[in-house]
Amino acid sequence: MSAATAPERSTRPVLPPPVTKGLLAFVVLVAVPATMSAIGGGYLYGIATTALIFIILAASLNLVTGTAGLLSLGHAGFYGIGAYVAAILSTRMGLSFAITLPAAGVVAGAIGVVVALPTMRLVSIYFAVATLGIGQMIYVTLLNWTDFTRGPMGIRGIPPIEILGWQPHSPMQQYMVVALTAMASLWILSRLTHSYFGNALRAVREDDQCASAMGLNVVQLKIVAFGTSCFFAGIAGALLAHTANFISPDQFQFGESINILAMVVVGGLGSLPGAVIGALLLVILPEALRGVGDFRMIAVGSVMFLSILLLPKGLLGEASALGLLRRQFGEAWSGGLGPRVGWR
Amino acid sequence: MSGAPMLEIDNLTRRFQGLVAVDAVTSHVNAHELVGLIGPNGAGKTTLFNLISGFIAPTEGDIRFEGRSLVGMRPHRIARLGIGRTFQNLRILPNMTVFDNVSIGALGNVGHSAWQALIPGRRMGSRQISESTRDALDQVHLSAQAGELAANLSYGRRKYLEIARALATSPKLLILDEPAAGLNDTETAGLAEFIRGLVRRGLTVLLVEHDMSLVMSICDRVIVLASGAKIADADPATVQRDPAVLDSYLGTTD
Repeated sequence: MSAATAPERSTRPVLPPPVTKGLLAFVVLVAVPATMSAIGGGYLYGIATTALIFIILAASLNLVTGTAGLLSLGHAGFYGIGAYVAAILSTRMGLSFAITLPAAGVVAGAIGVVVALPTMRLVSIYFAVATLGIGQMIYVTLLNWTDFTRGPMGIRGIPPIEILGWQPHSPMQQYMVVALTAMASLWILSRLTHSYFGNALRAVREDDQCASAMGLNVVQLKIVAFGTSCFFAGIAGALLAHTANFISPDQFQFGESINILAMVVVGGLGSLPGAVIGALLLVILPEALRGVGDFRMIAVGSVMFLSILLLPKGLLGEASALGLLRRQFGEAWSGGLGPRVGWR
Repeated sequence: MSGAPMLEIDNLTRRFQGLVAVDAVTSHVNAHELVGLIGPNGAGKTTLFNLISGFIAPTEGDIRFEGRSLVGMRPHRIARLGIGRTFQNLRILPNMTVFDNVSIGALGNVGHSAWQALIPGRRMGSRQISESTRDALDQVHLSAQAGELAANLSYGRRKYLEIARALATSPKLLILDEPAAGLNDTETAGLAEFIRGLVRRGLTVLLVEHDMSLVMSICDRVIVLASGAKIADADPATVQRDPAVLDSYLGTTD
């Protein structure tokens, strides 16, 4: 498509998108590894890997909560499904990372779609409550299905990343595999967000009844968005399993869902760069404040609180989180046009 | 101008827990016709609109569009058949640009898929969406504001934005829910001329309106509702003389 017919965008980006993308790729693939190799930090590579995993989680939740406006409180559950699929496939069946990574995404995405089918007709806040319940169900299953998941003991000894016989030998090489996966995920999510498909999701967020009156199949759009989001949560889970080599159910509790949601809200609903920045902030800040002990959690909480208070749309968002919440509560109370409350 | 009935409403009834909002209404809209729907507050005009566009289901009766029954059809299916609508209380998408607002209408009509977004070079789906969006914006003279956030438009322009979005769905029948509400006399006159122009270009329009002068001056035919029931269905001049209408809606002149 030529420049003359390039459509107008919903948000006016701070930097032109190609610059943002180039900058991000340069920082993640060149600047960070170069700096870390220079100061020689294996520990720092660990933090960078965690940051990338949470970037995928925040960016994928952003599609569903930021762009489509569906408050999902169970994202960590799908992250957990991905991690356990990868862990079980690799420890029990000896499958390599090249297979467990897509498998984790597909299983998490498929479970997401199955869960979405009955819940997508729930209005607003009722949907949020349903996802909260689903997240807890996944956590409790991971915890109690001991034959399959080893329960609270977790799964240890997950083989490291291996692609067609090649294994990364240094932390830097391992970091690069995670970084490339994260870049690919961000690329796909960015295409989905900045497209007419993304516009359709935004219309669902702003006013789903209006969207359906314009001919959009709202339920189908929500299912596709939710399934895609869960797919990438599964990918993030597989990356965690193969880089941490140990996973346990408590990593996928409700608190983690809230943590991911906070990244999206701080960065700004609907903004992909915002989700990236939010993830970086909430991963790196607690690490940087490790010196002050448990007070760091108060500091992190204050950052979240102040950002909601002072920046209603987050750092770069296109919609206000409180506004979305207020509208959704309102809708739940009034029930919209339909005769049944909370259901459409 | 008129042909076969495009929209047929047959003995349509909707009850809300004892309240009969629409009471056995039978009527029709012919192709290329401009029909006004009037009635006092609470007469069931908006309920009738919501029944036609599928937001609520009828208790009894049938609605047919080009011979197909709309009962039980979801709103997006009805929209894709060719019924475009606007809302009484403006429902623009404030955090999106004017262009993106209107593109939603085109999207619903042309179709949309996540896969299309991933094909390199075609991320904006088909050129068709951009073109019908531009065309609709041109019709309401909002092309210059295409990149603005919809929230920044004036009230009058938001009305046209809603109409443009409905036009982008390429409707055969356009239903307008109180488009003149909140407009001053000059703006209302401009709107009247605009709606007339749409009909001249072959569109069929069903117009719910409070502003009597607008309805009486531009409509081919006027349907009057009172307490959910149809009390008149004739050309504007006849309706204005109808004693039942004068009694229930216009009030007795003293």
